Amino acid sequence: MSWWVIVALAAGVAAQRLIGMFAGTALLAKVPVFGRLAGLIPAAVVGAVIVQLTITTKTSLVIDERLAGLAVAGVLVWRRAPMVVTIVAAATTTALLRAAFGW
Amino acid sequence: MADRGGRSGPDWGVLSGIAFTFFALGVTVNVLVLERVGSEVKTVVAAIVINSATTELAYIAVRDAGGSLIAALLAGWIVASRFGLLAASLGSRLNVGRWHRTAAGLQSFDPNVGVAVQQRTPHEVMRAFWMVTLAMHTGWWSGTFVGVFLGNVIGDADRLGLDAVFPALLLAIIGNLLRQRPGLIAALVGGAVCALLVPIAPAGVPIIMSLIGAVVALSIRTPETAS
Repeated sequence: MSWWVIVALAAGVAAQRLIGMFAGTALLAKVPVFGRLAGLIPAAVVGAVIVQLTITTKTSLVIDERLAGLAVAGVLVWRRAPMVVTIVAAATTTALLRAAFGW
Repeated sequence: MADRGGRSGPDWGVLSGIAFTFFALGVTVNVLVLERVGSEVKTVVAAIVINSATTELAYIAVRDAGGSLIAALLAGWIVASRFGLLAASLGSRLNVGRWHRTAAGLQSFDPNVGVAVQQRTPHEVMRAFWMVTLAMHTGWWSGTFVGVFLGNVIGDADRLGLDAVFPALLLAIIGNLLRQRPGLIAALVGGAVCALLVPIAPAGVPIIMSLIGAVVALSIRTPETAS
């Protein structure tokens, strides 16, 4: 992550926040679909990022102990467990399986 | 110390809960960021100026997978679209000048906007917004410093299962989006598209193509829930 990447990411995030703050209401009145998309796009992309991090290695699909960690996290998020509990449980599950099976 | 007159303003329990959550978020996110970035200064500056953990994580995930710079930047930018929506719902409730609006807009997050828009008067909205923002940043910034410190101590992060923390963290961050049917459908379709494309498309492309999930979810009829 070079300095200019940090600047570019910061600018892109800030721009969206400012557009929302200053033009959001007018924009949403004119094009209501933006409102629904702005909530759905992060869900779709983060869903993909989670898949990428959990069941892939470079360009192949791999099922391993990471998926078990995610499954535990999924149940805990669904049960509204505190974030810390979710994170620790996912890490512990993965680490234990890794230690046990030497993946 | 702010006055205690607000009827439904955030109380101490809510504020400390938010601060603690953001502390935990700051620690874990920045252990991961430091491992990839390798520089303490960059990690701290990125945490403060980008001001979006999801954006940092999405960028890093695409780069980790071998994706191009452009794909990673795009992924980082588009996951921040929900902040625009949050800023818009806050903006419609404010009664302040341009600079105050700018400052508030740049700090729009889920918890502070969520609590603020439940207040009645514009004054209460503003007060609740900044109280929660202060709690969030106290947690996030202190967590960032602890994360950078810990990151240097931990060493081999994967052995501790920290690679599993990354997706679990993202899942926890977007948990509320997944509680609504369209959000869940978007995430599932986005994930499926990604899994199908990973073996055949250049790295980074599967993440960008997951936008299909948002379009599919959009086409499903649900009762309008205007915020």
